[in-house]
Amino acid sequence: MEMRRRNIISLKCLTALFCLLLSITLHAQPPVKSYTVKDGKMYIALGKDLPKNALDSFVNKYELTDLDLEHFLQNGIADSLTQLGWTVDINNAQLYVISKPLFSTDNLIDPAEKIFITQDPSSDIIAPTNQAHFGYNHFKNKSPFAVKDSVVTFYLRSHTNAHNVRLAGNFSNWEKSALPMRKTDSGWVTKVKLNKGKYLYKFIIDGNWTIDHDNANTENDGMGNDNSVYYYTNYNFNLNGYTNTKKVFLAGSFNGWRNDELAMIRTATGWTIPVYLSEGTHTYRFVADGKWLADPDNKDQLPNEFNDFNSVIRIGKPFVFKLPGFKDAKKIALFGSFNNWKENELFMTKNATGWELAYTLGPGNYEYKLIVDGRKIGDSINDANLSLVIQPNFTFRLKGYANAKTVCLGGDMNNWNPGSFKMKREGDEWIFKAHLNKGKHIYKFIVDGKWILDPGNKLWEQNEFGTNNSVLWMEED
Amino acid sequence: MLHHIIIVLVFAGTPFCQTAAAHSNRDTSLHKTISISIQSLVQSVAGDSVSCIIPFSRAGNLILLRAKADTTDGNFVLDTGAPGLVLNITYFRDYPTTVADDEQLGITGTVADVSKTRVNEFKLGCIKSEAVSADLINLGHLENVKGVRIFGLIGLAVFNQCELIIDYENNLLYVHKIGKKETASYRHAMLKDTSAYNSIPIEIWNHKILAVTYINGKKLKLIIDSGAETNMLDSRLPGVVFENVEIIKRISLNGAGNKKVEALYGNLSNLTIGNQPAGILPVVITNLEKTCFGVNSCIDGVLGFDFLGLHKIGFNFVNNQMYIWK
Repeated sequence: MEMRRRNIISLKCLTALFCLLLSITLHAQPPVKSYTVKDGKMYIALGKDLPKNALDSFVNKYELTDLDLEHFLQNGIADSLTQLGWTVDINNAQLYVISKPLFSTDNLIDPAEKIFITQDPSSDIIAPTNQAHFGYNHFKNKSPFAVKDSVVTFYLRSHTNAHNVRLAGNFSNWEKSALPMRKTDSGWVTKVKLNKGKYLYKFIIDGNWTIDHDNANTENDGMGNDNSVYYYTNYNFNLNGYTNTKKVFLAGSFNGWRNDELAMIRTATGWTIPVYLSEGTHTYRFVADGKWLADPDNKDQLPNEFNDFNSVIRIGKPFVFKLPGFKDAKKIALFGSFNNWKENELFMTKNATGWELAYTLGPGNYEYKLIVDGRKIGDSINDANLSLVIQPNFTFRLKGYANAKTVCLGGDMNNWNPGSFKMKREGDEWIFKAHLNKGKHIYKFIVDGKWILDPGNKLWEQNEFGTNNSVLWMEED
Repeated sequence: MLHHIIIVLVFAGTPFCQTAAAHSNRDTSLHKTISISIQSLVQSVAGDSVSCIIPFSRAGNLILLRAKADTTDGNFVLDTGAPGLVLNITYFRDYPTTVADDEQLGITGTVADVSKTRVNEFKLGCIKSEAVSADLINLGHLENVKGVRIFGLIGLAVFNQCELIIDYENNLLYVHKIGKKETASYRHAMLKDTSAYNSIPIEIWNHKILAVTYINGKKLKLIIDSGAETNMLDSRLPGVVFENVEIIKRISLNGAGNKKVEALYGNLSNLTIGNQPAGILPVVITNLEKTCFGVNSCIDGVLGFDFLGLHKIGFNFVNNQMYIWK
């Protein structure tokens, strides 16, 4: 029966192709461009007189960049299309029709595979985290919430006909301790004492939950629901003067140096923008009408790759990198995951016993190397990256293996770098203290070069390469 | 007259409550209902029937239900497309397998671990099942994608003899185990107003819910699957079906083992299910050849969250009816 079905399908394919050709030929004005599916195949029909801009918009719309249709239309050579599995079905004076069968997906009978295959292709929802590194408020139609002595006044504009309005957020355990709002002439207000950071909230207006429509910052909670996002900012960037400038933007390591994202607000004497920045060292510059400049009022600077300087702000406690000895060295640089591996930014200074550099870092696991007079130096044994953990919150332990020479930790927390997280021998076990974010972590131990599962953890899973990794969940930060 | 016992279980302060509260911050009336239900799970028992309302959270558009398999409790995905209970092998590693860990060569050419085990007791709200057969599968990839711990999937067999109503708007699942004496008569109170919903016959086929639908008169048998986020259509269906699909883009489907398969994404019009027009539905068009069990037993497609999430929807697995609220 299945065989018969296939034969019928083949016949249908031929008929479909004939019909397609007929319809396209009959309706060849204006230039043809179509993407259709029939009897298990995708068909693309393109008029040979299709203008470039129409082809570009067609390619963009259907996400067909890899087919290089422009090249094909220009010279008619179908080699690359054929390699991708496409067949040229029609090539006449007016048009090309190409087709490709849709191959079957993995075994949909397996429930796990079915769930992967049927994930919503239009959205990649990733479970959000409240560990913000950077953020700023973006209110419309109303001023940012007033802040005084750590007390933030949340404000809902209008809705003055409502009978009861409450504010709920992650600061109130949502509905459990939702805060009643007080009616004013223009809306509703309530005061909340908060620490600096990122907060999620919603209003409950006569029992109905709603986001703050005057706040452009919203975030999906990974479960199909949106919340408004408020940042209790902890730093004001200010640029004095430049009053004749039309636009000033802030750009820095915290926003990937995008120079058109963070528009500064004009004040009587210059420009300002309040932001929330996490603990750590951040570099930045201003962009005034397209011209980049360091902050003229900030003396703290670090060199950049353009033989110029970036301004620096440091939030939190500095960590002092210390390197004893190396008395004859002339220049020692430090570079690592914390500064995006920039080799010409952080230079150590010489002191009585060696070299040192104070650098502010937030909680996390970091890797780095040194450059001593042009020579890169890592771990003394295997030249791997050196490691540094700020505010460790989890200890990995491996009992036994007393005769092992080196034991390392490899996992998502160090991008599976086999030598960077060396474990220390303490008593009858090897230990490594790491900083782990909330959520799932997978890892292994590496004993004298051999990868092993954590024998003390009964949770493990197979990865896509068919090998096994130990699994642990951090429930809280 | 049946004697009804109402038991109110107060969960305030339990990890369940905290999880639900932390993750149930959602729009409009939803919060209101959730907050009521997380404080109390109402369970009523009458004769051999039992009813409860189970609040759920979501991972993307998958329903996460709190359930307990023997001593292990946590989130399970409600997957009406799975035949029965599936356990994430990571958390049930020491369970004895009733079938040896035979290495089955999957269709993808990869070696799939297929093993079966037995759970002495599985509890989901008021539904308690004993000696439940379960598949052990690695769901690690699903956890990574969704960012939540997933202990397993709850498939159709768990709801034998049940009526199930999924209220996506309020994130509530109504479950009623239908007693022997009420098989013909039982209807949830929400089903009293028959003008509010359509009743459509379903067929349980290979442990899946099959519903007959029509596109411009062409009959299509579609699987109703809460474990699928998208709707799907077999690319090999007749041309008359695809005359009702506007192609939006070409996509790659994620299979296991990083395997990508080309497919199309579009909008389907003119689908009717039990005389009820389904409106415009997003749909993935892919070759469903591998879903065929044998002669004449391929499925035409799947209706997942992109359809189910639009309505309140119910299933009665005793009289094999599906209820779709208008």
